[in-house]
Amino acid sequence: MKIAIYYGTETGNAEMLAEDIATELEDAHETSVADLAETAPEALKAAELNVIVCSSYDDGDFPASAKPFVEKLNAESPDLSGVRFAIFGLGDSEYEATYGFGSMKLADLLVARGATTLGERIVHDAAGDDLPEDLALPWLAGILETA
Amino acid sequence: MSAKIAIVGGGPSGCYTAQALLKRAPDLEVDVIDALPVPYGLVRYGVAADHQGTKGVARQFARLFTRQKAQFFGNLRVGEDISLDELRAAYDAVVLATGLSADRPLGIPGEDLPGVIGAGALTRALYEHPDATDLPHLGATPLVIGTGNVAIDVLRLLAKTPAELHGSDLGAGPSDWLAAQGIERITVIGRSPAAAARFSPVMVKELGELSRADIQVRHPAPEAEDALNLAAAASSGPLPIEFRFETRPLALEAIERGLRLTVETPEGEERIDASSVISAIGFTCDGRLDRAGLLAEAEDGTASRLYAAGWFRGGPTGAIPQCREEGQALAARILEEITPDPARPGRTLFAGREGIVDFDHWQQIDAQELAAAPDDRCRRKFARREDLLRPALPQDA
Repeated sequence: MKIAIYYGTETGNAEMLAEDIATELEDAHETSVADLAETAPEALKAAELNVIVCSSYDDGDFPASAKPFVEKLNAESPDLSGVRFAIFGLGDSEYEATYGFGSMKLADLLVARGATTLGERIVHDAAGDDLPEDLALPWLAGILETA
Repeated sequence: MSAKIAIVGGGPSGCYTAQALLKRAPDLEVDVIDALPVPYGLVRYGVAADHQGTKGVARQFARLFTRQKAQFFGNLRVGEDISLDELRAAYDAVVLATGLSADRPLGIPGEDLPGVIGAGALTRALYEHPDATDLPHLGATPLVIGTGNVAIDVLRLLAKTPAELHGSDLGAGPSDWLAAQGIERITVIGRSPAAAARFSPVMVKELGELSRADIQVRHPAPEAEDALNLAAAASSGPLPIEFRFETRPLALEAIERGLRLTVETPEGEERIDASSVISAIGFTCDGRLDRAGLLAEAEDGTASRLYAAGWFRGGPTGAIPQCREEGQALAARILEEITPDPARPGRTLFAGREGIVDFDHWQQIDAQELAAAPDDRCRRKFARREDLLRPALPQDA
């Protein structure tokens, strides 16, 4: 399957996870990894499945590298019907009130443009004991089984 | 032909620069040199013990050494164990990312009185930096000068209950010290108006959510939605934390039970009595390196093969995301400007030198610290340099 992996990051943690996901999938699938900062919303139509890794920053805001993508989504209102995406969040439960807001808000925006979510969005907690890839890889394997 | 680059300082700026260099040019020989036996600088010793999520970037930095083939040379202080000139002769480029470790002086009479402590010195002691001084006695009514994020970190730790420190890596000694302070009231002063204070709104919000905090604001920002106004409205604990803005410190004097600070306010001069004074007004160079001279040289990297990064370059502002952004820009610039010379020895300069520790050493220390963590902590740091240097126990062999 053609799988495009995108990341929205502030400190690089989401980029690292995106690369881990690509490494995991590259034997069985045709994968690519790109920063959301350098991605046009229309580009999501190219792959059969888009996997997005997105953190939150500051007061539940989008991370820096997701912001240009979000601005384009809002300004260009592209029609993303037919686009399928799975989204994985990075969050920090120390900031409970806005935990995982970056990935939540991005998912909402994509759905509002007609895209379809595959699987349930889950959020890795930076304040917890799990490693992000230990949550993300089984999560994605489950999604790929049904995709 | 791969260039050889030495990065002096294994904190976030040095590590992000190394990461960006190796991402662009995986064949580079990148060596990260640190005066401490352990890597990551302020990620380990400056990011607050209860902000473990922020410390998560250390996993990226570990990959520098485990996958991107950077090498770590720890316990090697440039300027003492090796001269900067030797290093510059041995590498195609040298990046200075040593940070700014000294507390900026208050610059007022009485600044050196007993009971006046810099926030950098205090947090080094709290976070068990091997070169830290002993934790001071703060008394019942400490006063904090400064309204940046370091000041807020100090306030938050002083205000937290033991239960609110669960999951942190605050050591047993500092935890006992905190519990024993018996603080009854904290005053915070800043020169700017409330609306211009440097702290991040999220940090203030977090402070207002603590069970003991009762935030009060002497000269509130005019906007009701200001983070500090909201935190003041939301907090009603037993520990008053009073912020006073537009308040400039003029002089400190010793009084019978502590210190008296004279301040200038819009209403005229006032005196504030405190049991101790914590200055959190920024950081400056500790003087070991000639910062001004080196920065001047670093402006022309093509000629000097010298570069500067992070706080050492730009001063003590900017957090982890800025380090990443700047590291990427600096890496691109270095790769454009340098000309590798195969005659330069690079890391072979260190062959046979005693006392240097490598990344394997850190991984063993790290594993031991994690394994030794008590139930309510995520790590138990080795606090003493000799423990950080002690050859790793053979248990993992």
